[in-house]
Amino acid sequence: MAGYLAGRLDAFDGLYALIAPRIRSYLLGQCRDGGLADDLVQETFLQLHRSRRTYEAGRPVTPWVFAIARHVYLMHRRSTGRRLKFHETFAAETRAGDLPRDDVRVLADQDTVRRALDAVPADQRRALEMHHVEGWSFAEIAERLGIRVNAAKTRAFRGMRKLKGQIKP
Amino acid sequence: MNAAELRAVIARDLRPTRPLLPPSLRALLLAPLALATVIAVPSIYFFRPDFAELGVVRAWGLSIVEVVIGLTIVAMALRESIPGRALAKGTVVTAILGGIATPMLIYLITSERFDIGVPPRAQLYASYICFRTSLGAAVPALLVATVLVARAFPLRPGVAGLLYGLGCGVIADAGLRLYCEFTMPSHVIAAHGGAVVAAMIVGPLLASVVRRR
Repeated sequence: MAGYLAGRLDAFDGLYALIAPRIRSYLLGQCRDGGLADDLVQETFLQLHRSRRTYEAGRPVTPWVFAIARHVYLMHRRSTGRRLKFHETFAAETRAGDLPRDDVRVLADQDTVRRALDAVPADQRRALEMHHVEGWSFAEIAERLGIRVNAAKTRAFRGMRKLKGQIKP
Repeated sequence: MNAAELRAVIARDLRPTRPLLPPSLRALLLAPLALATVIAVPSIYFFRPDFAELGVVRAWGLSIVEVVIGLTIVAMALRESIPGRALAKGTVVTAILGGIATPMLIYLITSERFDIGVPPRAQLYASYICFRTSLGAAVPALLVATVLVARAFPLRPGVAGLLYGLGCGVIADAGLRLYCEFTMPSHVIAAHGGAVVAAMIVGPLLASVVRRR
């Protein structure tokens, strides 16, 4: 860990080789999905890298890493919950909109939304989808897209305005 | 992202990093500001009329004790902000109850009579003045503590915020008690205790705002 803090990549490799399998089996036990566990391991190491200065020299590394892994898993579960809620709300609103709806009408509506989304500039569309569909917070979106939080908010807001403008007659 | 991509991201960003100081030492960074707060509150307004009668130990001594307790609670918040060093639920509850009780205990130790106050019609205004003064005095410490906590990685920002908000509230009360001579329990509990609790509530709000940004 001291070598890693000193900026040596081989020290990070050593840490990864030592701890990643244990983190993976812990996360696998939590989520019971191999692919997802792999993703969460990578996310854990990203978070670990960003917060590496919080490691206190002389203390065991394992509790520190496992605390981050648990946090990553809980954040994932929370954002998945948000996504599910969005889909359920969206489905309920769609059902309640104008009953009875036949499949053709549903497909037509989906097509309308898709066309409207296509008209939204790509950067705004990405921010819009990440926030409103995938459930990421603006801070998370900013981190992932490498932009400022305000820029993420602006993009999502403008994207939504454009989308509404396209859908409304 | 696979392992190779992760390694590439890490390699791009890797540079020597200085670890944070231990939580207790980082809390000490607040000590000069805490002492300045204690001195500033009575200096800006006035020292309580019975200040001389209290003596050095009951006046300055107990305020310093209160500052030490406040800094200890802030140190607990800083420890809470380190992954893997989260505080046990019992410890957090004890710290919160102890922090809220501290100003009340010091008030009981300091006071000889419990009937000094203002006429009933002015009570609300006097309480408002003390509440505002105490909460205002806590703001600089709150801002510095927020930065100290945000520089770490609080996995439970609400808990860390509660603790450092409370710690800063206790520090501010150490200054307020040198300024306010009222000993009526209703005033002390509502205004002085209320300001400590309000600072404790502001802590998590600040912590969540900083975390979102």
